[in-house]
Amino acid sequence: MENQRPHRVRVLFFSMLRERAGTDTATVHLDPGETVSAALLLERLAEAHPPIRPLLPLARMAVNEEYVSQDHIVRGGDEVALITPVSGG
Amino acid sequence: MTETPNDAVWADILETPLPLEAIREFLRTEEAGGIDIFLGATRRWTETGPDGVRRETTRLEYECYKPMAIREMRRIAGEAFRRWPLCRACLLHRVGEVPAGETSVIVGVAAPHRAEAFAACRYLIDALKGRAPIWKKERFADGSAEWAEGRFADGDLNPPDTT
Repeated sequence: MENQRPHRVRVLFFSMLRERAGTDTATVHLDPGETVSAALLLERLAEAHPPIRPLLPLARMAVNEEYVSQDHIVRGGDEVALITPVSGG
Repeated sequence: MTETPNDAVWADILETPLPLEAIREFLRTEEAGGIDIFLGATRRWTETGPDGVRRETTRLEYECYKPMAIREMRRIAGEAFRRWPLCRACLLHRVGEVPAGETSVIVGVAAPHRAEAFAACRYLIDALKGRAPIWKKERFADGSAEWAEGRFADGDLNPPDTT
C-alpha cells in the first residue's frame, strides 16, 4: 500500500526564497514508503539549495495549502510551500 | 464547525484593478444595517527613520501562492462569521504591479450593526496581512527595489477551529 504512493514531494518557493534558489519549484525524492518530518525536509532543501539556508529559520511550511508545524510528517505526493514572513495588504 | 454559506463569502486574487462597485453590490443585503469596506493602497512616501528622510515608492509588485491564499482568505472569513453575526464578507487582493495611489486590497463585511461591522472588517485585514501567502516588492523612485519586510500574525497560524 505504502509502496504505491508517489515518491516525489513538490516544493514551491516564493519571493526571496524563489530568487535565492533561482527556481520556483524543487522536487525531493523519497524512498518507497519513506516519510520525512518538515524539519528534515528543510534540511534536505538547504543541502540542495545552499543560498536559501539563511532564510529557512524565518520560514513557515505549508503542506497541501495549510500551515503545518516542524514535526508534521510529509509524504510522497504532498505539495509543500516554504513561506517567508508575508507582506500582503 | 459551522459552515459559512458559500454565497456569503467572496475571496479572490486578481491581476486587475479591484472591482469596488461589484464589492459594494455584493455586500448589500436587506439584513445589513452596517457595511464596512477597507481599501489598502500603495503609499508613495515612507518615512525611513527619525531623521525624517522620506523614501519615494513608485509601485509595488505582489506575488502570491494563489490557491493557498484564496483558501486562507476563506478560512479567515469563516472565523469572522463564527465570531460576529455577519451577513456577508469579502477579501480581494490584487497581484502583479500596483502603482502608487492604486488599491491593492479590499476587505469588506455586511452586518446588522456598525460595531460588529467595524470589528470584523478590522479582523479580516489584520488576519490577511499576517497569514495570507502574499508578498510585495517595493520599487523606489531611485531605481532600487527590495522585498517588504514581512511578518506573521502572533500565535498559531492555524487556529484550532479552522482545521
